[in-house]
Amino acid sequence: MDSASSGIQEPFDLIRLSLSERVFVKLRGDRELSGVLHAYDGHMNLILSDVEETIVIVDHAEGAPEGQGTVNIAKRKMEMLFVRGDGVILVSPPSRT
Amino acid sequence: MPRRPTSSRPHPPPPLPTTTGSPTDFLKGVVGKRVVVRLTSGVDYRGVLSCLDGYMNIALEQTEEHVNGAVTNRYGDAFIRGNNVLYISAAEPL
Repeated sequence: MDSASSGIQEPFDLIRLSLSERVFVKLRGDRELSGVLHAYDGHMNLILSDVEETIVIVDHAEGAPEGQGTVNIAKRKMEMLFVRGDGVILVSPPSRT
Repeated sequence: MPRRPTSSRPHPPPPLPTTTGSPTDFLKGVVGKRVVVRLTSGVDYRGVLSCLDGYMNIALEQTEEHVNGAVTNRYGDAFIRGNNVLYISAAEPL
């Protein structure tokens, strides 16, 4: 069983091992977060601190071909954040080495 | 009265493939293998499947994020929330 080497039996173990670590979170609506994970639950509701949110805004110019819109990136910081689980697409812990 | 064709013997069902099994058997078989996970958004994640649960939450290792065929991100580990998953495809022979 090769999952024994990493000590992961179920996907939530990955999140549990990331508590108190800085994680990358990909959200619906072209939003990304980077923050320190304080708590989570089975819905993937998250509590993050020291968060930076990155929002990708694509403006489609009139008559521009598909995928040729200008991309704007907005960032903002928050001290403490509750993330509702249903918006979460992906969570990536810091690399375990 | 409608007439049935004279040679109306139904064909026997095609032989079942040699590897039958339930979807769960497939998923058990691909743990530890390279897979492609496609999300409903169309984004693909290619990596080694560490494990998954009943919600189809997925843990991947050595993950590459592909958008329109181009690599857009790499993650050592990634947790994918199951509701976003469209399919899991085996990327190497089982």
